[in-house]
Amino acid sequence: MLSGEVKEDVVKALLWMSGVVLIGTVLVTSVGAHHASAPFYDPEKSVEALGTVTEFVFRNPHSFVYVDAVNADGTTTAWEVEMGASVMMSRRGWTPETIKAGDQIKVVGQPSRAPGTFGICCAELTKLDGSPLRP
Amino acid sequence: MSLMGMRTTGRSEHPLLPAGASPRWLVRAAATSLAVAVMATSAFAQAGADQVAVPDLTGVWDGGFRARPVNGPNMPWVPGENFPVLNERGLAYQAAFDEAIAPKYDCVPSASPAIQYDPYMLEITQWPDRVLVRYEKDDQIRTFWLDGRETPSNDFTVQGFSAGHYEGGALIVETTKFAFDIAGFDDYNGIPSSQQKKVTERYWREGEELRMTLTVEDPMFLREPVAYTTRWLPGADGYKLQAYDCDPFEAGHPRKFLVPKYR
Repeated sequence: MLSGEVKEDVVKALLWMSGVVLIGTVLVTSVGAHHASAPFYDPEKSVEALGTVTEFVFRNPHSFVYVDAVNADGTTTAWEVEMGASVMMSRRGWTPETIKAGDQIKVVGQPSRAPGTFGICCAELTKLDGSPLRP
Repeated sequence: MSLMGMRTTGRSEHPLLPAGASPRWLVRAAATSLAVAVMATSAFAQAGADQVAVPDLTGVWDGGFRARPVNGPNMPWVPGENFPVLNERGLAYQAAFDEAIAPKYDCVPSASPAIQYDPYMLEITQWPDRVLVRYEKDDQIRTFWLDGRETPSNDFTVQGFSAGHYEGGALIVETTKFAFDIAGFDDYNGIPSSQQKKVTERYWREGEELRMTLTVEDPMFLREPVAYTTRWLPGADGYKLQAYDCDPFEAGHPRKFLVPKYR
């Protein structure tokens, strides 16, 4: 049996693995109005990823931003952050250059359901200082 | 001999004029005929205007988030309000459905009754013999034929065949000949549609807004017809529809995040 303190440390370590922090939330939404998010992402959880953008794909029906996040144990997780359709985002001023490879960003959203995958959707994207990432 | 050069007295000798027709009779007859023709034309035009008052639907229309609630599992088909009642076949298909099989993840275009509620822009152009609707979503174009042409007997397509007419200040469109679609009624709830699907749309203007009531019949899966009403707002001045150019990889990208229902 683990002591309460050890148990807490194990839980913390598990939570920090892959740079994931789970927070209970209840969010139900659709992704860019193309599909429901719930079959792919868990609205009961929240995940946070801080890292470096490796690619921003500005397409229809979904855009994706790829973020490499270094975990507490030194490993790197490649996150795939699903965003909306480029035709919709462009109406709000987004362009393929709004996010660039090398940008440091913070992503908070719902984690993907399939084991071994690192998808995020319905996310709020900010700069590392917390200021909004927008066009 | 021209009318101006006809004799002013005596009986008519012209073979096409009645016996005894004088020039004065001829003038009176011509004037009467002209008056009758004018009245008849006017009456016809008035009756025609009543029957075929054409609403101005032309332009770019915004069906996005500022116009209406976003589509999803509860919209526009709202449980307890207009959500469809499926027959046993429909329920069986719905039970077997899994998200991964939805054709949209391979860039198959959205179709009626979903494409009308997708939160995108559309552009309507009205011609004497047809109305064209171009959807920004999936780069789709639907043609509503107004010329009374026959419905093709064996041409089943994603968007079907649409025949329209103006009535009571509205555009009425009936669309049939849809191809079977595993998610053709509602891809959020996994409800299919068959080649027996019939979609009736009524478009009209309400001030600055474009309104539409859409009714779906599909006896293969639905116990009774269902309908929703929605609206579009005028698009921003000068807005030109963008190319959608669906990316097959990105369309199917989310599939990897599903916990598979079937292996």
